[in-house]
Parts: sequence; structure tokens; C-alpha cells
Amino acid sequence: MDPRKTTLTLAVLTVLFLGLAVVFFRTPARPERIFQAALVPSDALAIVPDTIRISAGRLVSSGGDASGLQCYACHDKKSPPKIVYDANHHVVLPKEHRDLIYSMRNCAECHPANDPVKLEYDADNNVILPKAHLRLGEMAHGSVLRNEDCYTCHDPNQLDQLHTAEGTRLTLDNATLLCAGCHGTTYRDWQAGAHGRRSGYWDQSRGELLRQGCTSCHDPHAPVFTPLIPMPGPHALHARN
Amino acid sequence: MPATEPTPPLSSGDGISRRSFLRVATALSAGVAAMAAGLAPLRKLEHYSSVDEFLQKHYLDLNPAEMKRVLARIEDEVQRQYKIRPHVRDFRPMNGVEFVYALNLSRCVGCRKCVHACVAENNQSRNPEIQYIRVLKMPNDGSFDMDKGDTNYAPKAVPEAGSFYMPVQCHQCKNPPCVKVCPVKATWQEPDGITVIDYNWCIGCRYCEAACPYFARRFNFTAPSIPADKLNPNMSYLGNRPRSKGVMEKCHFCVQRTRDGRYPACVEVCPTGSRKFGNILDPNSEVSYILKNKRVLILKEELGTLPRFFYYFDV
Repeated sequence: MDPRKTTLTLAVLTVLFLGLAVVFFRTPARPERIFQAALVPSDALAIVPDTIRISAGRLVSSGGDASGLQCYACHDKKSPPKIVYDANHHVVLPKEHRDLIYSMRNCAECHPANDPVKLEYDADNNVILPKAHLRLGEMAHGSVLRNEDCYTCHDPNQLDQLHTAEGTRLTLDNATLLCAGCHGTTYRDWQAGAHGRRSGYWDQSRGELLRQGCTSCHDPHAPVFTPLIPMPGPHALHARN
Repeated sequence: MPATEPTPPLSSGDGISRRSFLRVATALSAGVAAMAAGLAPLRKLEHYSSVDEFLQKHYLDLNPAEMKRVLARIEDEVQRQYKIRPHVRDFRPMNGVEFVYALNLSRCVGCRKCVHACVAENNQSRNPEIQYIRVLKMPNDGSFDMDKGDTNYAPKAVPEAGSFYMPVQCHQCKNPPCVKVCPVKATWQEPDGITVIDYNWCIGCRYCEAACPYFARRFNFTAPSIPADKLNPNMSYLGNRPRSKGVMEKCHFCVQRTRDGRYPACVEVCPTGSRKFGNILDPNSEVSYILKNKRVLILKEELGTLPRFFYYFDV
């Protein structure tokens, strides 16, 4: 056999193999075929264990920190809303917010930040209040209106203090004891943990167990739990029809 | 080199003829290309990342030193895939603790916050979608027939009149059918009552999925996809570390939280406080109080699965 021929063949073979190796490692593998369904806007605020509203007690005891109200669920952080003052330098509450501030709802509980509210205006350029907001701020405690007297709960001489039926005066952050006066069985359940929200540590030797008072979830002026906007269901791929 | 016809004689002494060169080169390149094409599927094997993973023992056979190496390897894998360094730990059951879950059907409004908190906490695949909790909208006809439940309800506001809502997830049975059918013992019940899965030991036969009467188990038909910015870096081996294609997963009562003394994610986010969780061996826990004082429903009680998940009513 001709040695030159052998050498040449081997050289060609080597070059070919090297070339193929380069191609082999540089071409991407064929991608796996997976079903590409549109992503459901899933976990925007789902994991934030905030309550439905900010209780007056919490607001007072924290020195007016309303950060939990999640204003930026609707407002753009980069263009904050203009605050309007009247002649006496009091803040003029916008009409569409009066009820929200009165009832101290946590906006983000219904309006996730990735799905901001579209405001609608009437002919006079006023914001049209959605129906879900109209009832907020109404006095609706007790189904037969037997409890519409402010002084059943509020101290007539100092409205930001409460008083129980037997005359004990309570500050706003102790509202739970006032509620217990009428809702004893619920209070008993709440003390045992069967009613209301708990978060933090179930094992109190390892950390703090956080309990929420009545007014963190219930508006004391209209305590019936208001309907919520449900989060998205399973992907339509799993639907029956 | 196989040649179909006899090679023509070479011209004497001065190399090879063009014809024979072309013939040899064509045959050669065709053969090599075929070999490369044949080997190409091997490149997909790169996600079987290491010999270590392939040779890893069953979770219950790992000694502490081996476990440490396994956890470090998982951290490396997650970092390579998501560019985030997670904290993967192995939480063991606590002494004197048996977890029980209670869910207040009178209070649940069906808002599905628990479903999405669970997805975020436990690094479930977003696409294809995997969710441990399924919220059934049930007709208020007193039947408790799961077949009448609707998971795809989408009204403007919940709750809707004439129905109640029943979230269903793993019931952490004391007599678990899923554990009995597993042919490789990749799923078992721990002393604190949580039925767990060793994702590295699971062979993906889906027997457990078929055995579960609560439809609680989920299968990864494809590699799960989780956006890196949504990854929860607090992970545990038996809990929420990212799963791979072809393994089962299910609710594990958030082992990375509950064995650390914290409440599960679904309990913390429930806006109505319908979800209750605690240690049934502690007589002062909320679940002990509920089981002592409330009317309790056990879903599919007649099957004898002895769930650690109870529904209760209080209005």
C-alpha cells in the first residue's frame, strides 16, 4: 500500500472528524416540543398575607402608617396623585376615595398591581363610582338596624374612643374586646384560633404567632364580608367543555 | 471503506487519482455524518447532570454527609438553571408533632388566593400549569358529590348564591392508598403525618395518581417552567425544590415552612381565615379545638383513608 495515500486518507479523515465535532457541539439540539399555553397572571399579590382592610387600631398604633393599603395597586408610583387642599388647608378627599378611606379597604386585595383599574368618567368628567364601592361606608351593622346608634360603640364624649355596654372605655386598637360583648361565641372561637386569621409561627417557641383582630377583616360599620374578585382558575386546557 | 465497485488502479507512484479521492471522501463523509446523526440524541442527556445524581441513594438511606453533598448538588443545579442560588435544606419531622389541617366550609368564599399562594411558594410549573389545590364550586344541595364540583367558575365576584366552595388538596391520609401502590417506595408517610415524595427516586409510573381518591397528585409531563424571578429560593429536599420531567408532586403541607414552625402559605393568605393548621398532639392548638368543638366533615370517609384534612362548619 502506498504510504502517501494512507497518510492522505488519515489526514482527510482527521479533518472531517474535527469539522463534524465542531458542527456537533455548536448546533443547538432540537428543542423539546412542549405545549406553549399563555401564562396566567398568577402570583401577583397572592403570597402577600395582608388583610382585607387596615383597622383603625393598627393605623393608630403604628402612628399612621398606611403602607399596607397598597395605594400603588391603582396609582402609578412614578406619577403620584396630586393632593388638593381647601381654603383651610385640609386635604380634599376625591369623591371616589371617600368611601375607601372611610372603610380603610386594602385596594390590593381586589385589584392586583398587574391589572390596574380603568377609571371611567361621566359627562362632567367625574369618576363614575363602581357599584362595588357604593356600599362601602354605609352604616350596615346588624340586619334589623337595631345597631345604628353611633353611641352603642363610640364614646359620646370622645368619638375616637369606644365604650362597652357595661361602660368600660376602650381605645380603637382594643376594638376586639368591644365586639366580644355581643359576639361572645365568635370571640371564644377567635381566642382558640378557629375564627379569624393567623400567620407567622404555629410553633411559638420558634417565632411569633400573629393574630388579626376583628376590624382587620370586618368593617365595624358594615361587618358582613364583602364579595371578592376571584383569582384566575385553572388553565382553559383543563376545562371540561 | 465499503466500495461498491473495484477501485481503479492508481496512477503509478504520484498519489491518488481524483476519482478515487472523491469516492473515498464521499463515502467517508457520509459515514461520519451518519454516525454523528446517530449520536445526536445523546446531547439531550445533559440534564442528567451527574453520575452522583444517577447513583444517588433513596432519601431514607442517605447519611448526613451524603445528604449534605446531595443538597449542595441540588443548589448547584438550580443555580445553573435559574441563575439564583437557592437555600436547599432537609427538614426532618419534629418530635411530638402530628400535623392536621382544618378548612371552614362555612367561611370559604372561593377566591382562589390559596391556589396561587401555593404555586408561588412551592415553585410549581407555570407552564404547563400545575396547581396542588383545586377549588370546587359545589351546588348547595347537600350532596357533597365531588363530581358536581366545578373548578372553572369565573364570576365577577365570589361567593355566588346557591353554591359553596370546597378546596381540595392532599389529605395526608393516615392510611394512604398512594403509598401502598408505589412500586419503588418513592413516596411514604413521615412520623409527623406528611406523605412525601423523593423526586429523585420517583420513576413516574403514576400509579399513585390513579390511587388517590382526592385527585391530589400531579405529574410533570414536561420539564416544568418557572420564571426565574418567581422562584422561591427557600427550598427543601422533600418540598418545593424544582422538580424534573417525569416525576410526581403534590401538596406536602409546605414542609419547608411547617417543619420550621411556620404556617403553610395557603393558611397565611386566606382572606376569610377559613384555613386552619396545627399540631393535633397539642391540646391547645386551634385544630384540637376545632375537632373537639365543631361539626367536622371527612371527605370520602367511607373509603377508610383516614385523612388528616378535615372540613368543618361553624355558622
